[in-house]
Formats: sequence, structure tokens, C-alpha cells
Amino acid sequence: MVPLLNRPASRTLIAIGQRLIFGLLTALTAVTITFFALRLAAGDPLSSLLAQGLATPLQAEVLRVSLGLDQPLTTQYLDFLSSLLKGNLGNSLYTNRSVITVIMEQFQHTASLALLSLCIAVILGLGLGIIAAWRKGSNRSWLAETISGLATSLPVSFTGILTIMILSLSIRTISGSRVLLSSKELLLPALVLGFASSGAIARVIQSGLEESMLAPYMLAAKARGINKESRLLWHALRPSLPPAISLIALEASFLFAGTVVTETVFSRPGLGRLLVTSILQGDYPIAQGIVVLAALFYTFSQSLADILAFISDPRLEKAN
Amino acid sequence: MKSQPTTTLSLIWAILVILVAFAAPILAPFNPRQPVSDPLSIPSTTTVLGTDSLGRDLLSRLLYGARYSLGLSILAASITILAGGLIGLLAATFPGFPDRIILWILNSSLAIPGLLLAMVLVAGLGPGTSTVIIAVGIWGIPGFARISRTMFKQTLSMGYVDAVRALGGNWVWNSWFHILPNAGFRLIPLATVHVAWAFIGATTLTFLGFAGDPSLPEWGSMLNAGRLHLVQMPHLAILPGAAMSFTILSIHNLGTWLARISKPYSVH
Repeated sequence: MVPLLNRPASRTLIAIGQRLIFGLLTALTAVTITFFALRLAAGDPLSSLLAQGLATPLQAEVLRVSLGLDQPLTTQYLDFLSSLLKGNLGNSLYTNRSVITVIMEQFQHTASLALLSLCIAVILGLGLGIIAAWRKGSNRSWLAETISGLATSLPVSFTGILTIMILSLSIRTISGSRVLLSSKELLLPALVLGFASSGAIARVIQSGLEESMLAPYMLAAKARGINKESRLLWHALRPSLPPAISLIALEASFLFAGTVVTETVFSRPGLGRLLVTSILQGDYPIAQGIVVLAALFYTFSQSLADILAFISDPRLEKAN
Repeated sequence: MKSQPTTTLSLIWAILVILVAFAAPILAPFNPRQPVSDPLSIPSTTTVLGTDSLGRDLLSRLLYGARYSLGLSILAASITILAGGLIGLLAATFPGFPDRIILWILNSSLAIPGLLLAMVLVAGLGPGTSTVIIAVGIWGIPGFARISRTMFKQTLSMGYVDAVRALGGNWVWNSWFHILPNAGFRLIPLATVHVAWAFIGATTLTFLGFAGDPSLPEWGSMLNAGRLHLVQMPHLAILPGAAMSFTILSIHNLGTWLARISKPYSVH
């Protein structure tokens, strides 16, 4: 299949190492931004507890000392970093359960939704992108382009609600409603979310294909008598994959953000719902924990995609 | 240039929404925050589109919604464009170490998914309309700053900038009278597209209930309230949702149209 690249192994290792260090530094900065954004914006993290009458001023004072909120901000930051390294994200202000445990309980719901949506987004995005680039200017190409444009700009909240409405209307008319209802659990939310992310993938694939179709090697392939299908799907598609891989990694983390809305629309349990409720309640350790984990996950997938793109494209030499 | 029907339609819809946003108090038949009839009543001669779950006139709420939804997103987009543009300008005019530091911070902030960063800010500031504006505004800054940095860099490499420098123009003079007007003109399409993103951001946050005030006549909050009555009264959710989607699509279309006409010689 793909020929191995004749790149010296040492150079590959150095490049991968550079990307890993870059990823770690980015993760650290992202975690720092999260910490300070939350602390600087929130005058007093315990104010909502006090306002709801869930704690007396005396209890709040005790809690403040035990959370280390009476310490200077820099001390708090260093404490936060060291406990993060130990895998400790603190306890919920309401239930006093460990944030990690609460997150792990909800993790599987969000992970299954995000994973299925990502598969749908990749398949749909590849399909739409290839159709749009196949014969530029044809009706089919125009339709594919319009669909991917709609996918990027329609808000998930609205497409989700439309889907639920169509589902509930079809349950009235079609028998076998149990099958339809069970699809509401995972398949429909994943379709809605996957559709939303497919637009950007389609656009990158399309512009990549259009660009590489103008390249001289495409003419050479034509001269060798290779038919259009293999030219487009093999010769032209392969060089447009690395940017798509980076984008898919980007989408993977944005899917996580997308699950926030999708879970609310479909009333599904998961990290997104947990985040929304913890913010509305003022349970800042949980909100902080989820965002920090999301940022770590994002930088990790981004570095992984960088490495994949580097391995798959011989033209990428410099780490940037 | 071939004129496209979608561009014309987008322009008409955008102008309509802006007009409604300004004229909402004149056009709306009722106070959007007060109940006027029975809850969930069907359309009638007095309440043309019926009422919502609290008996408030849906038409009035939709009309006022244009004002609130558009207002929130334009204010948020202004924060993004002003702050992001300034950061981009600073990075472009001070190449070397300052530029690298700024770029590093921008790239790292892009590592936090925007919606989550916005939600962290909501967690800190507490739900409310001004929180939504600030959160959506800050959400866009890293991305917009990075694009405008590139734009300003390109403008700085133009011959006339060197000419002004050679004539003795200082940094402030140069950026205010030469770089800003030239690069700013090219930033207009991007800024327009950005308003569409801010619109998605603001309505998403209000949809999640972060506007604080549940009586606020705003399309995102209305969409969320309407989804509870989706089977009996689908129009309660569909109308604000459709208004929201049309507005996003038309602003987005106008932005790409502006981008197309502002570079007539490009291949695309």
C-alpha cells in the first residue's frame, strides 16, 4: 500500500519529540488559562453557595480554608498544578465527591456519542468533499457544497430539535416506533453532531482535491492511462489527507464541546450536561475539571494528528 | 461577476432582521415579557402566532428576539474584532520576541474549545446577558487575532509602508493612517463572517440557559423553552430556530460574498 518513506529514522524521532514537547507546553498554557480565567472572573467561588443559603458564612469560611482559597493566587495555582499531576481535581462543592469520580461516571456516555459522531462526520465529510470536487459546476457538486455549507452554519441546537420533531411526527405514522425511539438514544444525537462536524471536513477535502487535481502528477497519471476514479480517489486524495487528519483531530475536540449542546437537546446524560448543570449551580471544581481535561485531550489529539500527518506526508519536514 | 440569488436573499433577510431589531417596539403588538392570553393558545386574530407556555405573545417575542439576539452577537463580535484586531496589529508591528510570545498565547488559547472557554467565563461571572456578550466576545479573540495578524503582516510588507517609514512616519502614524485603513478594509469580510460565528455562540449560550433571565425574548432561549412542547406546538421552537438559522446563514453568505468581491483577481 503506502510506500515507506525514506526519511532517516533519527530525523523522524527528533520531529516527533519536538511535537510532543510542543504539545506538553501548549497543554500547560491551556490549563493555566483555564485556571486564571475562572479565578479572575469569579470574585468568590463560594458566592453561589452562600447566595442559595446552602452554607452559613462560618461554614463557607471553613470550606474556603480547606479549599485553600485564602491563599495567594500563585500558591493556589501551584497547588492546583501539583494535585493535577497526581490526578486529583478536587471535590464537588455540593456532593463532596471527587471530581474525577463524577467525571468518570459520565465519561462513557459522552465518549460513545463523540466517537460515533466522529465516524459519521468523517464518512459524511469525505463523501461530500469528493462529490463536490468530482465534477466542478455540476448540479451534484453544487448540492454537496450546499449541504456542507449548511452543516457548518446551522446551529446544532436547531438541527437537533428539527430531528426530534421529525422523529416524533414519524412515530405517529410509522409502525415499529420502538426501533425509532431507541435510535433517539445514541444514533440520532450522533447523526446531528456528526453532520455538524462533517461540513468543515468536506470543505478541506474538496479544496485539497481541487488543488491536487491541478498538479502535474495528475496529468502524468492521466497520460499513463489511469481512469478518472482511481486518479481522483488515489492520486489526488492522498496528498489532501494530512490537512484533513489535522482537522479531524481538531473536530474531535470540538465534538466534545458539541456534545454539550447535543446532550441538552436530546436530554442525554454525559459530561456536557454535567458541565452545564455544574456551571448553573456554581460548582466550580467540576466545571474546572471538565475544561482542564478537555484541554488536555485536545492538545493530545492535536499532537497525535501532527505526528500522523508528519508520518504520512514526505513533504512535511520542519516541525512548526 | 455573476450575481447569485442566495446573496440577494441573504441581503434581504439581513436588512429585514436589522429593521425589525430597530422597530420592534413599534411592530410588536404586545409586551413580549407579559402574559396576554392563556398559555399555549393556538393562533387567533389577536395573537397571530399564538402564545407560549406562559401565555406571552409569540409574534412579539419573535420580533423583540431580533433585537436581543442580533444585539448580543454584534456586541460580542465588536469585543472580538476590536481586541483581536489590536492584538494582531501589535503582533505584526513588533516582530521577533513579542510576536512569538503573542502567537504562543493565541495558539494555546485555541487549545481550549471555544464553547468551553466561554462556559468557564460564565461559571466565573455568573449567568446574565452581559456575561454572554463577554464570553462570546473573548471566545473569538484568539482566532480573529491570528487572522488579523497575518493580514497586518501582509500589509506591512507592502512598498508604501517602507515609503512612509523612509519619509519619517512614526509607528503610531504608520499604523493609524496606513496599515489600519488598508488591512482593515480586507478584514471587513472576515469581521462579517465573525458576526455569524458570534451569533451561533450567543444563541448557543442562551439556549443552554446562560442568559440568566428566562423572560428575555431572545431566539436561543425561546428555542430551548419551545422544545418542551415540541409535539403539541412545534412552531414555538421551529420559528425562533428558523429565524436564528436564516440569520446565521445570511450573515455568513454576505461575509463570503464580500470576501469574493474584495479580491476580484483571485482564482476562486
